[in-house]
Amino acid sequence: MPDPSDKILSSLDAALKRSAADATELVYIGTRDATTRFAENGIHQNMLSSDGRVIVRLMKDGRVAVSSTNDLSTSGLDRAIADALEIASFLAPDAAFPGFVRSDTAPVVNAFDPAMDSCPPERRAQAVSHIVDQAKPAGVQASGLFRLTTNRVAIANSAGTRQYHQETVAELSVSASDDPTFGQGWSTGVSHKIDQLDPKELGRIAIEKAVRSRNPQALPVGEYTVILEPAAVGQLLLFLGFLAFSGKSFAEGRGIFSGKIGELVTGANITVHDDPFLAEFTGMPFDYEGVPKRKMALIENGVARGVAHDSRSAKLAGVESTGHALPADNPRGAYPKNLVMAPGDATLNDMIASTSMGLLITHFWYINYLNPMKAQVSGSTRDGTFLIENGAITKPVRNLRATPAILDAFAKADQIGRDRVVYPQYSAAMYVPAMKIAGMTFVEDTE
Amino acid sequence: MTDIKAIEEAGSYVAAQAGKAGATYADFRAVAITAESVRLSDGKPDLINRKVTFGYGIRALADGAWGFAATPDLTKASVSDSLREAVQIARSSAKLAPRPAQLAPLTPAQGDYKTPLQTDPFTLALKEKVQYLQHLDELLKATQGINSTGTFLDFRREEKWFYSSAGSVVTQNIVHSGGGFTAAAKRSRREVGERSFPTSGGQYASGGYEIITALGMESACPEIAQQALALLDAPSLTERRTNLILAGDLVSLQLHESVGHPLELDRVFGSERNFSGTSFATPEKLGNLRYAASIVTIESDPTAPAGLGSFGFDDEGVPAHAATLIDKGLLVNYLSSRETAARVNKDSTGAMRAESWTDLPLVRMTNINLTPGSGTLEQLIADTEDGVLISTPDKWSIDDRRENFQLGGEIAWEIKDGKRGQIFKNAVYSGSTVDFWNSCDRICGPEEYRIWGTPSCGKGQPGQNMRTGQGASPARFRNVKVGQPA
Repeated sequence: MPDPSDKILSSLDAALKRSAADATELVYIGTRDATTRFAENGIHQNMLSSDGRVIVRLMKDGRVAVSSTNDLSTSGLDRAIADALEIASFLAPDAAFPGFVRSDTAPVVNAFDPAMDSCPPERRAQAVSHIVDQAKPAGVQASGLFRLTTNRVAIANSAGTRQYHQETVAELSVSASDDPTFGQGWSTGVSHKIDQLDPKELGRIAIEKAVRSRNPQALPVGEYTVILEPAAVGQLLLFLGFLAFSGKSFAEGRGIFSGKIGELVTGANITVHDDPFLAEFTGMPFDYEGVPKRKMALIENGVARGVAHDSRSAKLAGVESTGHALPADNPRGAYPKNLVMAPGDATLNDMIASTSMGLLITHFWYINYLNPMKAQVSGSTRDGTFLIENGAITKPVRNLRATPAILDAFAKADQIGRDRVVYPQYSAAMYVPAMKIAGMTFVEDTE
Repeated sequence: MTDIKAIEEAGSYVAAQAGKAGATYADFRAVAITAESVRLSDGKPDLINRKVTFGYGIRALADGAWGFAATPDLTKASVSDSLREAVQIARSSAKLAPRPAQLAPLTPAQGDYKTPLQTDPFTLALKEKVQYLQHLDELLKATQGINSTGTFLDFRREEKWFYSSAGSVVTQNIVHSGGGFTAAAKRSRREVGERSFPTSGGQYASGGYEIITALGMESACPEIAQQALALLDAPSLTERRTNLILAGDLVSLQLHESVGHPLELDRVFGSERNFSGTSFATPEKLGNLRYAASIVTIESDPTAPAGLGSFGFDDEGVPAHAATLIDKGLLVNYLSSRETAARVNKDSTGAMRAESWTDLPLVRMTNINLTPGSGTLEQLIADTEDGVLISTPDKWSIDDRRENFQLGGEIAWEIKDGKRGQIFKNAVYSGSTVDFWNSCDRICGPEEYRIWGTPSCGKGQPGQNMRTGQGASPARFRNVKVGQPA
């Protein structure tokens, strides 16, 4: 379809002019979602949905209110503005709200693949067949997701900000399993361009791992050296982000980094940035308040360097917004969605070869908070856990529950991977390496 | 404004034209959702938000496979295009379908369901809601040492119109109300005592504003504030094996995670393997697995009054009805859809539910209710010589087969000689599903029973958040691992 930016921004402009508020911000979020799910070596769910909504945030006499609608007609937008005005009329003035500002137009990033925006379901089915055709002769069941989304975001506020971004995202995730023998494998890939995903290769990785992990052996719980594949590192980094990188909790004095900026918080070999301009996977170049993004340091050589702010938490902290606002109807506050961990110089094989006794972990499942004050989480290993003895993988082992304190775990990283992969989770994308950690505690055998 | 005439025309069109479009079955589900959220932090507005969304989805079965297309565009051309698109998607699926979909039989449903309610929460002025929450903030801060509060109210109305090519025509108007608060005593970043009421994340139920007034939030403020202060200096619960009493809200979480999810039959068959995982409760265990102790009977009941998982019809048009899942400890049924039920030669339990119009229905929990036993929580404590009571879930993790879990609560009390003693923070416990439920030796009675609401149960890809209920009384479990290493 033709680029709809002019039409969307014109509609927002017109609605802004009709708004009776003192200041108004309109955020359009449009999504086209074409998802094929497969299980038992076949497609079982297949769908296409399209939606667009506008989030209204406005200020009247110092009062701030939010509403949203997916009725994008003139009357629908006017009703949403009227809703927000009505809400505002009941509220007290909000002294903590910094108001809307005019932001420079953010640079355009190339993240849109026209071929994906109009991709027919037959192409998704073809990708699935490439995976299933490998799974059947290997005697395993393939499951997974092939999801193609087109996201469009437009922002207009009465201070003069105008931003527009469109992107396509292709995500392919494959699980392979052999239930009688408890063999499990998994792989995932994500790209802005559909042709850059390789279903055959992702299928091969998952299937080979499922075959290798058949008949896993029980292992005593306790502390083990672990080698985390990149997805497992990404999962821990994501939860660290929730706890440590949020400007809202930081400004309120509840964050892990509150009072710790400039201090060593983890290993000196750990550096984490938020970088939406990463060549491997660009992100939206502005936030949901229209503030342009930039690469920013969160942890540098183990030292806490910063947190992600929106305008509200920035005002509370006495700093400028870092361009990390989420949509205004989200109560959680700012969050960095393009986390990048600096690489080391080790290959995965180097890590395995240098390990006398340890575990290789594909990824974790159901990580959740255990003790947020210590950035401690609980989660079980999944889809392939292997014992390493004397520098080589010797056998698959049953899944175990780990309870790492994330910063403490990263502080014990004695090797970091040279190669990194993009790992998507919960609408964030992380670019992460593998990591060898000298000691992680496992508290339960999960089977 | 919702154009009901256009919805009825669209639904009738899809039902009538499905066959001509190439579908052996199709259904049309239009949904209009209005939601209002009022959240205050320290008595000041944090987020006051009103949201409306409308659209419809068409699900088509063609050549033995499913396709689904969803859009908010209700023009005749779009409805026709969406039906065609759903059929095209189904046909593209058919070449790789695991098996031709067979549906359990269903008599076409006709009906109109409305949540019974006394006070429509959307008719109350926002100002009253804000003032009520500010009053709670004042009540909490009347206790010296409480220096941070969060108070909130949430309301949701979901109107649905369902038409199927098999002749079902169903309308529903479902209203949910929820609210709660947190109180915190903070001395420093690491020295914090925090409590929630009625449970973490609040209590949600189907019904009107009367749900909020019945929560007893005002009268609970002094006690909850005192508990927050007590947690400030409380020790963490250290590792031991002991008798565990779970408050009703933690029994609710335990039901949700280790009974509801593993008994979702789509999950049992592997539909969620790539994301949420599978289930240890595989079909050969049906009728054979001693899932729990003989005092444990659990049913799915979407007809239960005020349950957050209550409705009149599921999203396949199956009339809501109760179904026993675990009968005196024995696994006897699953939560199911028409397609998954047919694979175990049963009728659907009516558990196909979608979060919104954009989403495909999945097998979800309704109200998963543990039949009450007898006695009060205080009587159960008095009957316990040695143990730990944990309340208010704030930690949960369970493996992808729903066996090994680690859950926890905001607060715990040591039980010694039938009396509450030392308070603990960081209270966790862990176990394996079948062993744990078989260790249940006492369940409190109807006077302690409540259907706890879970307003955001995640499942599916793209992710959907479903609203479920779990009916629970406090219960005791023998010889459970609690706490973490000192």
